[in-house]
Amino acid sequence: MVEINLNRRQFLKLSGATAATLAIVELGFNEKEAYASSKEFKIAKSTVTPTICCYCGVGCGILVHTKDNAVVYTEGDPDHPVNEGKLCSKGTTIRQLYTTEKRLTKPLYRAPGSSKWEEKEWDWMYDRIAKRVKETRDASFVDKEDGIIVNKTERIASLGGAALDNEETYLLSKMMRGLGIVYLEHQARI
Amino acid sequence: MVEYAKYVDVTKCDGCRACMVSCKNWNDLPAEPQDFLGSNQSHAKVTANTWNVLSFIEHENSKGNLEYLFRHSACFHCKEAACVKVCPEEALHYTDFGTVVINDEKCVGCGYCVQNCPFDVVSLATYKDKHGKEYKKAQKCTMCTDRLEEGMQPACVTVCHTGAMEFGEKDKMIQKAEKRLAEIKGKFPNANIYNPAGVGGTHAIYVLAEKPSVYGLPENPKVPTSAVIWKDYAQPIGKMMLGATTMAVIGAYISNKIFYKEDHGHDENGGGSNE
Amino acid sequence: MGANPAENHPISFRWLLKARENGGKIVSVDPRFTRSSSQADLYAPLRSGTDIPFVGGMIKYAIDNNLFHKEYVAKYTNASFIVKEGFDFKDGLFSGYNEETRSYDKTKWEFETAEDGTPIRDESLENPRSVFQLLKKHYSRYDVETVVNVTGTPKNDFLKVCEAFCSTGKPGKSGTIMYAMGTTQHTVGTQNVRAFGILQLLLGNIGLPGGGINALRGESNVQGSTDFGLLFGDLPGYVGAPKALPEHASLKAYLEKETPKTGYWSNKPKFLVSMLKAWYGPNATKENEFGYHNIPKGNKNYSHMALFNAMYKGELDGTFLIGTNPVVGGPNAGKEKEALSKLKWMVAVDLWETETSAFWQKDAGSNPEKIDTEVFLLPACSSFEKEGSVSNSSRWMQYRWKAIEPKGESKADLEIIHSLATRIKKLYKNESTPAAKTINALHWEYGGHGEHPDIDVICKEINGYDAKTGKLVANFNSLLDDGTTICGNWIYSGFYPEEGKNLSKRRDNKDTGGGNFLNWSYAWPMNRRILYNRASADPSGKPWSKEKAVIWWDGLQKKWVGNDVPDFKPVVSPSEPGGQNPFIMMKDGVGGVFAPSLNDGPFPEHYEPFESPVANLFSKQEMNPTVFIFDGSFNKKGNKSKFPIIGTTYRVSEHWQSGTMTRNQEWLSELAAHMFIEMSEELAKEKGIKNKDKIIVSSARGEITAYAMVTKRFKPHKMNGKTVHQIGMPWHFGYKGFATGDTANRLTPHIGDANTNIPEFKAFLCNVRRAD
Repeated sequence: MVEINLNRRQFLKLSGATAATLAIVELGFNEKEAYASSKEFKIAKSTVTPTICCYCGVGCGILVHTKDNAVVYTEGDPDHPVNEGKLCSKGTTIRQLYTTEKRLTKPLYRAPGSSKWEEKEWDWMYDRIAKRVKETRDASFVDKEDGIIVNKTERIASLGGAALDNEETYLLSKMMRGLGIVYLEHQARI
Repeated sequence: MVEYAKYVDVTKCDGCRACMVSCKNWNDLPAEPQDFLGSNQSHAKVTANTWNVLSFIEHENSKGNLEYLFRHSACFHCKEAACVKVCPEEALHYTDFGTVVINDEKCVGCGYCVQNCPFDVVSLATYKDKHGKEYKKAQKCTMCTDRLEEGMQPACVTVCHTGAMEFGEKDKMIQKAEKRLAEIKGKFPNANIYNPAGVGGTHAIYVLAEKPSVYGLPENPKVPTSAVIWKDYAQPIGKMMLGATTMAVIGAYISNKIFYKEDHGHDENGGGSNE
Repeated sequence: MGANPAENHPISFRWLLKARENGGKIVSVDPRFTRSSSQADLYAPLRSGTDIPFVGGMIKYAIDNNLFHKEYVAKYTNASFIVKEGFDFKDGLFSGYNEETRSYDKTKWEFETAEDGTPIRDESLENPRSVFQLLKKHYSRYDVETVVNVTGTPKNDFLKVCEAFCSTGKPGKSGTIMYAMGTTQHTVGTQNVRAFGILQLLLGNIGLPGGGINALRGESNVQGSTDFGLLFGDLPGYVGAPKALPEHASLKAYLEKETPKTGYWSNKPKFLVSMLKAWYGPNATKENEFGYHNIPKGNKNYSHMALFNAMYKGELDGTFLIGTNPVVGGPNAGKEKEALSKLKWMVAVDLWETETSAFWQKDAGSNPEKIDTEVFLLPACSSFEKEGSVSNSSRWMQYRWKAIEPKGESKADLEIIHSLATRIKKLYKNESTPAAKTINALHWEYGGHGEHPDIDVICKEINGYDAKTGKLVANFNSLLDDGTTICGNWIYSGFYPEEGKNLSKRRDNKDTGGGNFLNWSYAWPMNRRILYNRASADPSGKPWSKEKAVIWWDGLQKKWVGNDVPDFKPVVSPSEPGGQNPFIMMKDGVGGVFAPSLNDGPFPEHYEPFESPVANLFSKQEMNPTVFIFDGSFNKKGNKSKFPIIGTTYRVSEHWQSGTMTRNQEWLSELAAHMFIEMSEELAKEKGIKNKDKIIVSSARGEITAYAMVTKRFKPHKMNGKTVHQIGMPWHFGYKGFATGDTANRLTPHIGDANTNIPEFKAFLCNVRRAD
């Protein structure tokens, strides 16, 4: 875990900053939540974790504020030399990547010919995928071509990965090539 | 008492709209899907849940050159704020920072502030209580007064990457604006500082590239005379005679009948005005 | 140019604005007046697909007006090299073209060499067969009149850009070119970038602060994922993937063929052998060529379009899609969607249900009953629900810490990949078929707890360590080709030089000089921040100017010193052999004004896009003569009589790529909620379209409906006495998420660049009409 020194944040010296707390209520769509949040400064007791923005390749620093297993706020990292606490609209909203209702939270399976998803357990999914990979690989594996050892399958492709972490792309590259996959491509071209 | 202001130099803005979402992020405001407006602008004007809007304006200047202008529009935090004047419940008030905020517990949703704001930046939001009964509260930009109290800048200022915004002592902000004005006069002959006297000056000071009207701003905004009469004469007498709550009900009636703003041409909406 | 940083890389634009406060000038060259243009000192429109004429004209301007940096060009580039007799260029074709194979015999473009193989040079640059004179001759055809007749740029605007940018040829000045997909996504994409490279070499702008040609990376780790070999053609660290060729049949043969004798790549055997040791561990021995035979060897083009073409023809059974959404993002997306239904199985790993993973649904226009694809959708967590590093456009490898547990049952991709690998390996455990042997040989020991691997073990494998002692290597200088060192990706070697010191985690934000932050994170290679920084000093080792000093030769200390880590052997003095060769990754140590290795020619030449409304004014060759043309019904070509309008695609500030990450969250969906088509007032008038009308855009591939955004920021191109209209549209939309709309890529063609196969998204033909 990394230590963040928030004292380096740019503070204003305002003469009114000692004024008694005002009843400014940030009314959200959920009244109860909004009233609760008005009682305490929004990021008063949050845990702050630095991250790097997941969008473009500029690599801005972002601080993620979490409290009680919820993401309560995200803001630019004032210590970061690239963005110096500033962000664009996308970087500002990475909080909603966590809070949005659209996130997938369970593995989903669609059987051939079916018109719906079914929720499945991870184990079931892993085992079934491994089985399918093996079937295809075994049926299509070419070890030699014109006397040259080629050890490949041209019937499986892997696409994507440009937003993964380096360590993940390393494992992905190693696994896919280890399986003999030559249709290996990410989003650099699209 | 030191006076503070938010400095907004629209000539530095590149329209990224981080100010809009940082406001929602800090203040936990919900999204409000809008119809297509014919430009990159998302909302016609600020609303109860969207406290600042970036307007996109395509303007052909006197030389016939295209200018793509942006303006971060939000509450001006007037020094003599009409909304404060007309509020029968004293829910709207000035803070030590010079910002104008709404005390939600006092607000009864009567809407006088909405009617009387010369910039059209106050709106009523509708909520439901636990019995499902609807009620209204006025909402607008708070200048993140909660952040100011902690010594932090407003969320929109903090996020702005272009140097278009700053929050600080008003004198210094005015000096900054004057210096900037001198720099850009060559490129923008119509450039001006917007800090209108009719409302006693504002706590959001703009450097504009073109005349205020190009941005959909009133050239000479004023606290409506009716609001002065109401606050300084009618309301105290009324309250004395009828009690505050009754007066608020009557006030709503009066506000609709008498104070109804006739001129809707001063909308904050700059988007598409030249398209 | 070819980028719109204020909208697509806003924080990079912050630094342009700061540069302007210090007297810099911002130039925006774009078919449409954008948010970047609004802050530019100069704006010049151009027709999509005419970058080479524009930059070619600038090259001519720099040469004709003697604005290039002569000593830099003579010493640090191959402009002084002599090209062999027989090289020629006629009517759009370089020598050696074969019409049948649509390819060149590149031996016709070779340099004259001395007996020891070193190129012969004429530093006076006057030899008529010198690269410089050939360059001058080639671009003599790119005169201002012809250029603006092709690009549609007002002549004055073009000249102002030439004047402003070429003024950076003086020592003490620098200029950078920031580009993105607007440059690359063309049938001449590589040559567009090459043109930038030539111009910057002429102006002496490479290797200096404020110089370079800067690719603005569109994804947070498209840099890192490319570095780690996720494109078919390269293994980690840009070691070319071996092919099914006799000269790659063994490790020995491969290294003999692919290792140059000079330049830094002469160390390639050390990098590849150390990588093989990382992949095959104890199964990689000297006797079995370190497991080289296990690496798959293909002999085709396996890039995006070829992949979907193969899928469409039923040549693929299974596909993994890792956080990617080609049904929105791929060219000719309607066909790419159809292709997916030919798969037997598909594994999608994503935070969301995307248009791609849901391609079989009724809402996607499919009949689920008729689609037999088995689909597995695995929920991944977001970047701050896990830990790991990403590499930005400046090659900074920055660590991201975990802020919160993954939402619901979602998991880190690291764990998903690890779990799949271990389970597949387990199925093969007791088998000995050739398919089993290669996967059994793969060394996969990453510790950790439960199914989650230990990321620290992976980091160490990437950095490299001694095979016997396990001691971390200091950097790639320690790697050997005898199997005693292990290193997963040599270019990153050095980020983890000692136990407990993962330098990507560094957060010291002190400016260590010259705007470098050497103690913030880690930049590959070797923490160097400005590549080719040897070129910031003159041949004698003195900075060209005080203002732009980066590194310099210190005669007392006998080493290169300065504000950055030298991108050079730090003890090689300017007078030693190689001491004046800044471009260490090039065989000859100099910058390539002439590039004899590209598929479509050693100099960039203008060809019209695959679909163009006008004839090529430069030659009889309409289209790049070396692009690969996909056959069959997959890719219909539109003609200018039916589709007279140029279409282009782009992004908006508020959305990202195929939109899954942004259209699935409310605040950004609110800001840019609707699919729109930008068009000029003139075109709108011609077509009877009013702002906000619903309109239909059609191409030879398909039709989409969207709102018209009629704007003054798009003007018709006036060129060669003709008016050509252009429209533009964002490519973010699909039918899932909060903000929905038709997918622009249903219009775009399956045709790509001759070198990279990047699709030509940025210039295609279409037509528009009112929807009612």
